[in-house]
Amino acid sequence: MALRFDDQFLKKLEYLHVVSKRAFAGHNRADRLTAHRGRGLEFADHRPYTAGDDFRHIDWKAYKRLGRLLLRLFDEERDLPIYLMLDVSRSMAEPAKFDMARRIAAALCYIGLVHLDKLTILPFGRGLGQESAPGRGKGRIFRVFEYLERLEAAGPTDLRGSFKEFAARPRQLGLTVIISDFLDPGGFEAGIKILRTLGHDVFVVHITSEQDRSPGAFGEVRFVDAETGELREVEVTPRLASAYTKAWQGHAAELENFCGRYDVGYVRADAEQPFEDIVLKAFRQGRFVA
Amino acid sequence: MAAWQAWLLLAGAAALAAGLFLIKLRPPRLLIPSILVWTRVLNDVRQQTLWERIRRAVSLIATVVIALALALAVVRPGRVAHGSARAAGRLLVVLDASWSMEAATRRGETRWERAVAEARRLFTSSSGAEMALATTADGLIEGPTTDLALIETALERSQPGGGDASAWPRLAGATAVHFITDGATARPLDPAVVVHSVFEPAPNVGITALEVRPSLTPGNAGDAYLEIGNFAPSAQKVRVRINRGAAEVLSRELDAAPSELLRQVLPIPRGGDPALTVRIDAPQNALVTDDEAFAWVARARPLVVTVVGAQTQWLRAAFERDPDVRATFVDPAGYAARPATASARPDVIIFDRWAPPAAPASPALFFAPPAGTPWLLAQADAASSRSTPDERAPKWEIPGSHPVVQGVDPFTLTVDRARSYSAPALVPVAQSSQGTPLVYVSESPDTRLVVVTFSINESNLTAAPGFPVLLGNAVDWLARPVLFASQPRDADVVHRLQRPGLTAFAGVVTTVSGPANSEVPLTRVGQTAFARLRVPGIYTAQGGGARSTFAVNISDPQLSNLSRTTPAASGRVVTVAAGASGAPWWVYFAVAALVLALAEWWTWQRRITV
Repeated sequence: MALRFDDQFLKKLEYLHVVSKRAFAGHNRADRLTAHRGRGLEFADHRPYTAGDDFRHIDWKAYKRLGRLLLRLFDEERDLPIYLMLDVSRSMAEPAKFDMARRIAAALCYIGLVHLDKLTILPFGRGLGQESAPGRGKGRIFRVFEYLERLEAAGPTDLRGSFKEFAARPRQLGLTVIISDFLDPGGFEAGIKILRTLGHDVFVVHITSEQDRSPGAFGEVRFVDAETGELREVEVTPRLASAYTKAWQGHAAELENFCGRYDVGYVRADAEQPFEDIVLKAFRQGRFVA
Repeated sequence: MAAWQAWLLLAGAAALAAGLFLIKLRPPRLLIPSILVWTRVLNDVRQQTLWERIRRAVSLIATVVIALALALAVVRPGRVAHGSARAAGRLLVVLDASWSMEAATRRGETRWERAVAEARRLFTSSSGAEMALATTADGLIEGPTTDLALIETALERSQPGGGDASAWPRLAGATAVHFITDGATARPLDPAVVVHSVFEPAPNVGITALEVRPSLTPGNAGDAYLEIGNFAPSAQKVRVRINRGAAEVLSRELDAAPSELLRQVLPIPRGGDPALTVRIDAPQNALVTDDEAFAWVARARPLVVTVVGAQTQWLRAAFERDPDVRATFVDPAGYAARPATASARPDVIIFDRWAPPAAPASPALFFAPPAGTPWLLAQADAASSRSTPDERAPKWEIPGSHPVVQGVDPFTLTVDRARSYSAPALVPVAQSSQGTPLVYVSESPDTRLVVVTFSINESNLTAAPGFPVLLGNAVDWLARPVLFASQPRDADVVHRLQRPGLTAFAGVVTTVSGPANSEVPLTRVGQTAFARLRVPGIYTAQGGGARSTFAVNISDPQLSNLSRTTPAASGRVVTVAAGASGAPWWVYFAVAALVLALAEWWTWQRRITV
């Protein structure tokens, strides 16, 4: 499926920007205020002039009034490092799920590119895949589309291993968005905790589909795990189907509660929902974009 | 089946069942993103019950045990019987099929069931060798074979059926012969025969005799002689019920002292059903077979005789005084070759000096039929219209031995002229001194005829003392024939003493039917037809246009006395333990397999218990 957004939707995305609960300073100038004082446009404070300071920042009006050389200080505006971690394990292979995940990634990329943020797309499964940094500027969105279209869902999920690999390399702190179905036999908690411990602002996009939420069949069935190939012979009775639905809801609620406990943003994206509703409404309601 | 084959079968069946269990038909596969949630659900559910944790193991064990049980049912294991020999060679087991083998023992099983169980053990413990099964009633009924299943089937099929004391089955090359008997019938046995005794004394009451004898009272069809023996150690009240057909004619309770023989004579009036059935009932009664006896009252109804002729007054006088005959007289013009109904068909037709154009279907007596009667002549004589020669004043000098002329005094008879007939079916039973036949008989599957070659006009027949004898003999021979192969002097005796077993009939007999009109298969050897009369009851033999009805009874004090046994002359006698019978082991294994299959089905149904 081609990942293309129409112009109207792109315009809507341009009005949005990714919200980070914390202010991270990137290396490049952009339009996000940082805690650093520097060469921004917003006046922040004065300080006494010292030898070597730039003459251009001396406040001559204050010198006339006070007879002292004061230097004008401005808030530094830098870019925001955004890490889009996209689950490309076999459990995401369901077309509706995988398309939804890639579209969300593409939409977030476009918002980031518009605001000159530093984007890094990191596909993961058993470990981290080949990461991609599309650069700056909204014109790079097509490279993003091409990159995402080339991705294929394969292999098992290992959130903890993948995020440990992510942490092993020195990176700027920033906003980390995990787009996944979080169906990891090893659990999702350890992986998310690693990112939180590093100091990233973590945001979880939980991709789900009808096949995940419902038992899928009744009667005698041999379920085959798409990732591990493990077999499970089950006779799905109505009672068992009901137990499954409850168990899945418990799993989703567990993830959401975990995110709430560790100050991790959480948005659930059902593959059957309209994509625009998720980006424009759910993400806003989840205070992920504004 | 050899032991190694049996073990191989058992191991193979168990392995096959386990293999099939593990690769049993799988339900459809369904690829799902992750089995994570399902695992949680099932773990949550199954952790609650011990059953779910062991279900698969139980199911596998049940499957293997089912296979083993079925394999054991095929192998049919058994205990080694006393006196059995595993030596290579041929094994012959002979079952005593006397009726006394049907006697019930104290444990409820019959001697026969105990004998069959013993035979089964003998065969099982001799698996691998050639085996044969025989009974004293039927001879060799299965084998020699190494297939235990064939022997087993024959054992299940066989049943007591009497058997002559002198009949002993032979098997060439038999190295071990076992005879399983209760010793009720004494038999001369080879010393090498191993006798297995299933004898156990049992109290019994039985009918030891039932006969219908000619009555001296003119109004009676006969006198029934009944003999009942109490072979129990204590006195018993015996209920006796006598039926003629479906009507009960007597029901009486008699007191029988120990070892007492009760004798009763019951007059049987004329009329009524000729089938007489006697049943007895007593508290201590181990053998059921001898509680019922049958008799056929041949003279219960008069014979229906049609006399055809122009001047038959002389016969009217002869039959008027005979209550055993109901005669009808018709002119030749009124003779109908085929009566309108079967019931209108006479027992005997007498033709006086006249003959129909074709041989009659009913038994017939002819007096001096016309010389040119075509069907009484040879084909060549009939074609040329040539008469056979007559003899003037023939002399009948030698009394005949045929039942028709038996007792006829030939010397009081004067014959002026006798004709001869050349039909090949006619057999002369009385001849003149010159060889001219005076009395012919003809006995074929279609017709039964007596032809007297002289008439009353040409003899002193009506005045001769031999006339009523000849007439009575001829009518009896025609209407109440003895169709057994042997022709005894007293036909009634033959009828009275007929016992179950192999019976020889005359060659003219075409059908023999037993109780409930069941047809008995006939086997012909030369001029004799053999039939095995298996059960007591009323039988009918048909042939030569006549039918003979007779009763078959066990009625033997030797069989009814279940407290005695004949000491075996054999060197080895093995007493068969009580309670040895019962269903064969393989039946239990088959039942166990069925029960386990149901259990497996149940466990399969319960594999999800949420």
